[in-house]
Amino acid sequence: MNTAEIFDRGYRKFEGERSGVFGAVRSLAWHTMRSILGLGRKARHKIFPVIVILIAFLPAVIFIGIAALFPGNIFGDEARPEYWELAQSSGFAILLFCAMVVPEALVRDRRDGMLGLYLSTPLTKATYLGGKVLAVMATLVIVTVGPALLLLTATTLESQGPNGIFDWVKTAGQIFLAGAGISAVFAAVAFAASSLTDRRAFASVATALIFIGSPLIVGALIDGADMSQNLRVFDVISMAFEFSPRVFGDMSVDLQDISDTQVFVADGAWTALGAAVVWLRYRRLGAA
Amino acid sequence: MAVLTTSNLTMQFGAQRALADVSIEVPSGVTGLVGANGAGKTTLMSIALGLRDQTQGAIRVLGLDPRQDGATLRAMVGYGPERNVLPEDMPAFDFVKHLAEIRGMPRNEARSRASDVLWLVGLGEERFRALGTMSTGQRQRVKLAQSIAADPSFVLLDEPTDGLDPVQRDEMLALIRQISEEFSIDVMLSSHLLEEVERVCDNIVALDAGVLVASGPLDELVGDEDGLTVELVAIDDRPDAVVQTLERLRGRGVEVELVDDTLHLRGTDRNALVDEVRDAIAASEARVRRIVNRRRTLEDLFDRNAS
Repeated sequence: MNTAEIFDRGYRKFEGERSGVFGAVRSLAWHTMRSILGLGRKARHKIFPVIVILIAFLPAVIFIGIAALFPGNIFGDEARPEYWELAQSSGFAILLFCAMVVPEALVRDRRDGMLGLYLSTPLTKATYLGGKVLAVMATLVIVTVGPALLLLTATTLESQGPNGIFDWVKTAGQIFLAGAGISAVFAAVAFAASSLTDRRAFASVATALIFIGSPLIVGALIDGADMSQNLRVFDVISMAFEFSPRVFGDMSVDLQDISDTQVFVADGAWTALGAAVVWLRYRRLGAA
Repeated sequence: MAVLTTSNLTMQFGAQRALADVSIEVPSGVTGLVGANGAGKTTLMSIALGLRDQTQGAIRVLGLDPRQDGATLRAMVGYGPERNVLPEDMPAFDFVKHLAEIRGMPRNEARSRASDVLWLVGLGEERFRALGTMSTGQRQRVKLAQSIAADPSFVLLDEPTDGLDPVQRDEMLALIRQISEEFSIDVMLSSHLLEEVERVCDNIVALDAGVLVASGPLDELVGDEDGLTVELVAIDDRPDAVVQTLERLRGRGVEVELVDDTLHLRGTDRNALVDEVRDAIAASEARVRRIVNRRRTLEDLFDRNAS
């Protein structure tokens, strides 16, 4: 026998516990991530994230595919990409993601009135930005950490990974740290560009120009005007991607004149500069 | 307990003073925050939500200081902004559910409450429609729905009838009244339409260029006054009838004023005034549209303040 119950639907008091600021930040971050990845939205919103993720994972997938089709260490250790190289090989995908995704996450709220509404909830400007950063970082980490983590998993299953649990955990930690470092620099710069305009297209172009323009200008000064190699610290792309090999105790061939400290300080400075621009901009924004 | 109290609240934007020494005490019920554009209504709401810091004075909302307890306070307060710009491609249900979650509702609770409030405001069948495809009236209802979805104690609605036609306005005002009476949610709504505030509110806070004009229960601020209001009809074959009526009444010692073919008579003995009006109209052969008791309106409060 069916024992159906009819509940009185309609407006009612809420007696439970509210999730507070932490819940608000978590909810905002999750909503933003879903929006960035096109989840719960029309198919056309999913195309771009899928393409970027495919581009990012392609090198790792190709290597793993070949290794699976031809068992044994047929290419030798030299042929296998380093974990940090995977983040660099997906550089174009990361750049595209930042230029398109961060403006989507930030500019949209200012244009469609959501920022004012968010600030009428337990969120403050600081926690709002925290939620946005969390969402963008978590999304970027998919392309900066994901491929290397996939390769680590595959090589581990093929018994070609790090030796012992300690090395494995250390390698996984380095992969996460490297991915998070790259993501932080890229996100900070893209956030700064997106905070300065209410037009998404302008923010995307500005982000791309900073990423593409800084290596061009620095390259012209070093190679054309014969200036110091130390100017490389102003090349945000090189510094962001160089974070990865330095975490693994390695370095790129063309950045051997730049010390580890210079790389880490430069990345920290770019991130801090981006964060400062965003904070100054949002501090002055009216809420309602 | 007062829902909102301010003491010498002042807000200065550069050289411009948006609020000047405003001291009010707003009790439970529906409170109308009235004033022309630029009167300081939105500024007062922003300060009440802790979104702006006042230049001087103090404010407490639900017993909390918005500057110090902003996040805690905003979890208990709903807000419907004046702007009609909403995420175009987001369905109404997702929008309301998301903001309910942000205001602290667990996910499943937010889902069911979003559905319930959208039914409550009359958008049950339309709840999965994108906001961009909705009319102004429907968007106003969505804004109201999101403001109450998380079961607030107090709701601030900034111009909730803006852009609505008369029928939609009546429906919106009825909803606001229902929210207060049935669900015990205190409401403060801002409006520049005095008539609608008189219809729906229990209390009034009237601002003019940042200065408090009046505040208190509606019954005390507006209502019947001593005297009569006599609306006359100007007619072509007796063009002097209105003025003759006025002069006749004045000749009889009645305190009377003429504004746009309407006579405003002051006096405590209403029966005697009616007799005087009857005789004056009969003598001057004026045509009467209506005779009613004199009422003090919100407009009078502003007129008095201006003069």
